[in-house]
Amino acid sequence: MHSALKLFLFFLVATVLHWALMAVSGGWGMSLNFMLVFAIAVCAFVKPEYGYPTAFLCGLFLDFFGVKLFGHHALIFTLCATLVYALESRLDFDSVVPQMVCVCILETFAALANLLLLKLFAGFSAWSGLFPFVGGIVVSTLVAPGVFWAVRHAFAYKRTY
Amino acid sequence: MKQVSQTKKQMSSGSRRRKILPGVFVFVSLLLMVLPLEGPVSSVKAVLSYVFIPQIRAAHETVEYAKGVSDTVQELLDTHRENERLKEQLRQMQLQNEQAREIFKENARLNTALTLQAPASWNGVWAKTAYREPSQWNSVVVDKGTASGVQERSAVIAQQGGQPVLAGVVVEVTENTAKVLLLRDEDFSAVVYADPSGEEGLLTGSGAALPKMKYLPLLSTVKEGETVYTSSASSIFPAGILVGKIAEIERTDGINSSLTARVEPAVTAAAIQELFILTHREETK
Repeated sequence: MHSALKLFLFFLVATVLHWALMAVSGGWGMSLNFMLVFAIAVCAFVKPEYGYPTAFLCGLFLDFFGVKLFGHHALIFTLCATLVYALESRLDFDSVVPQMVCVCILETFAALANLLLLKLFAGFSAWSGLFPFVGGIVVSTLVAPGVFWAVRHAFAYKRTY
Repeated sequence: MKQVSQTKKQMSSGSRRRKILPGVFVFVSLLLMVLPLEGPVSSVKAVLSYVFIPQIRAAHETVEYAKGVSDTVQELLDTHRENERLKEQLRQMQLQNEQAREIFKENARLNTALTLQAPASWNGVWAKTAYREPSQWNSVVVDKGTASGVQERSAVIAQQGGQPVLAGVVVEVTENTAKVLLLRDEDFSAVVYADPSGEEGLLTGSGAALPKMKYLPLLSTVKEGETVYTSSASSIFPAGILVGKIAEIERTDGINSSLTARVEPAVTAAAIQELFILTHREETK
């Protein structure tokens, strides 16, 4: 219960940071997905009982702002969480490089999946150019080690795998 | 054995949960995606708004506050940079001010040196006014005497606007001082001429009144405003020293056989601070 509360508080902080980074990166024309970085970090260090709901909630948080489609972010985040848990035994998430590689791949996957789902379900093209697309992924990859460090120090001892 | 089976049971329930959870969330997500936005989805959104709206507001306020902090920090940094720039400018200005002050001093010194420069063809000595009777402006005591070559009846010249002008004549000398009779004194006299008329006359002091230029011919063509210089006929003063300008010509119907003119002296009281006393009268003549 204590861990769930702490995780929820972390979620709140993550939303604030997401909002702040969106405000900053938006000025440079980049679409940064900080919530996904947070969700990946949580899934890397926290049990699936907490990781999946957190990822789903993070996705819903992004869906909440959408007007064309609802639930696609939750789906993408859940799929990303599944991939993280699938890669967990093969990747050392305590090291910076695997963290960044994982975030880079999943951010790319999420961005492409977002475009695809919006096109398929809402007939809407959300493509806003290469720079926002790549820039968001690059910045997310760069901030990943910091997020992983914070989540690991807060929740790593809970890991039972 | 029992413990092993319990552990196996726990592991299998854990792996089952790992498989079920994503499936459940994927199913819910797909359901939310396919459901119309106006119907149940809006209800879900309404429920979520209770969680997210205060959070979004807090996030927004935090961001706005952070933006404010960022602006304030930026302003502080700008102010600091500007302050440093202004300090540097102030230092530069202070340096320039010091340099300017030095230049002013140097300029003043050079001006004085130029002013005090003796006429090339005259031999003499520069003297400073040591004493002047406040109520009398007819004589001054200077700080040079016989020790410096000053003699009685030595001509005394002042500098007025960079030009040598007649100041007076030495009447008393001690070893280190000399008394100079200024041209306003009634006992002062010098042979002068008016330019351009060329008429010669005798300049004499008149106390508080303007000095007189006496013995001008009755039919003289001299006019007011003409410049008066010392004449070569003078036994004391070198020729060509500026005396002043004719201010007035006194024409009387009496029995006078000559005209008298009033001369406005070129030398002023302020100029009688530094005086040049000719020491080799014979040579200068």
